Amino acid sequence: MKLLLSTLMLLFSIGSKAQELYVYTDPASNLPAKSLGFRLTNNLAHIKNTDKYRFATIPEIMIGISKKFMLKADAAISNMSGSTKLNGGSLYAKYRFFSTDDVQSHFRMAAYMRGSISNLHIHQPAIDLLLMNSGVETGLIATQLIKRIALSASLSHLYAADNTGGKKFLYGNSSRHALAYTISAGRLMLPKEYTSYNQTNVNLMMELLGQTNLNTGKTFIDIAPSVQFIIQSRMRVDVGYRFAIANNLPRTSENGALLRLEYNIFNAF
Amino acid sequence: MKKIFLITAVLFSVAVQAQVTKVSLQASGLTCSMCSNSINKSLQSLDYVEKVMSDIKTSTFNISFKPGASVNFDQLKKKVEDAGFFVANLKAVIQFNDLVIEKDNHYNVAGMNLHFLNASGQKLNGEQTISVVDKGYVSAKIFKKNNSFTNMECYKTGVVGTCCKKTGLAEGSRIFHVTI
Repeated sequence: MKLLLSTLMLLFSIGSKAQELYVYTDPASNLPAKSLGFRLTNNLAHIKNTDKYRFATIPEIMIGISKKFMLKADAAISNMSGSTKLNGGSLYAKYRFFSTDDVQSHFRMAAYMRGSISNLHIHQPAIDLLLMNSGVETGLIATQLIKRIALSASLSHLYAADNTGGKKFLYGNSSRHALAYTISAGRLMLPKEYTSYNQTNVNLMMELLGQTNLNTGKTFIDIAPSVQFIIQSRMRVDVGYRFAIANNLPRTSENGALLRLEYNIFNAF
Repeated sequence: MKKIFLITAVLFSVAVQAQVTKVSLQASGLTCSMCSNSINKSLQSLDYVEKVMSDIKTSTFNISFKPGASVNFDQLKKKVEDAGFFVANLKAVIQFNDLVIEKDNHYNVAGMNLHFLNASGQKLNGEQTISVVDKGYVSAKIFKKNNSFTNMECYKTGVVGTCCKKTGLAEGSRIFHVTI
C-alpha cells in the first residue's frame, strides 16, 4: 500500500498531463461514437507450484455505438487445457450516464456489464471472467480528471456460474459472489509539448486491482504498473506487469506480464 | 415601392452573401492526443468541412469550410460530443454585408437565426468574429453571467418562443445566441 501511494505521489509530483487510457481497467469515458477498436491482449503468467506458464491471448473488438454507449466482444485463447485452444469469450457493454466537463477537468460515471463463458476446468475460487470462469460482472466506474491528475475507481459485483461442458464451480454456491474493485492513475510522460498527431505519446500507469469473495472474505490485491505508447494518435502498445501485494484468495497464477496492441478507426461507420 | 424593393434586395443580398468562413472551437475534458484526434476525425466527417487544423496542446480546432457551405454550429457541437467531449467555446468568422444589429432582435445570417446579445445598433460589415454563447457552448458559469444581457426566454431554450414571435420566425426554430 505504501509502495502504491509513494508511486502515485511520484507520478504526479513532477507535474504533467494526466491520462486515463488505463491498461488493466476501463475509464468511465467511452470509445467515440461510430468508431471501432481492435485489441490483441497477451498474458503470460507462471502457474504456481509448477514449472509451467499460462499463456492467454485475447482478441477483442470494440464498437462506439453512441457517445454514451459502447460494446466490446472478445475471445479467450489459452494453453490452460493442455494445448492452445479457444476457451471462451465475453461480451461487455458500458453506458456513460454522467458527465461534467470543464476545459481542464472532467468527472464521469459509467455503468457496465460483462457476460462471459469459459469451457475450462475451474481450479481456483478467485473469479476471472476474462478467461477462467463463466459468469456475469456488473459495476460502476467513476473517473476524475483535474489538471494533472486522472484517477479512476471501479466497483463491481462478480458472479461465477458453472463453466460450459458441465464443469462445476467447486467452492460452494455462496462463494460464487465476489466484489471487485480497482483504482487507476495515469500520467503522460512524453511528449513534453504536443505539436502533432504523429508524435508518440508515452504514458505511465499505476493500477490497483482487488477482489474479495463475499462469502469467505478472502481477498487478493494486485499492483499493476504499466507503460503505454500511443502511436500516430490511433495505435496503442501497452506493456504491464501485475503482482500481488495481499493474497489469501487462491489463484493458480498471480504474477504475470501483459502485452497489448490496439488499433482504433474513427468514423468507421 | 422602389424603397421596398431596395430593402428587399439588400436583405436578400445579406442572406446570400453572409457566410461562415472559419470556426475556432475549443473542446473540453481531454488531455490526450488520441482523444484530440477522435474529435479531429469526427469534425472532418462533415461534408462541408474543408480542413481542420488542431492545436492539441490547447484542444483548439480551427475549421475552414468549403465555398458556399451552409455551416451549422449545432452539427459541429454534435461531432465533438460524439467523440466523447464537450465544446468549451466556439468562435466563428462571418462575412457580413452592412447588417445593422439591434438589441433583442433576430437576424438570419448564413442560414442561421442569430440573436446578438450585446447588440446596440452597430453596423456589421466585412469579416467579424462572433462567439456562440448558447447552453453547451460555454461553461455554466458564463451562461448564467450572460443572462444579464436579455430577459427573453429564447436565450434559455435556444429556440423561438413567444418572446420572439414578432420577428416572424416560426415557433420552435433554432436561434443561436451570440456576442460580438
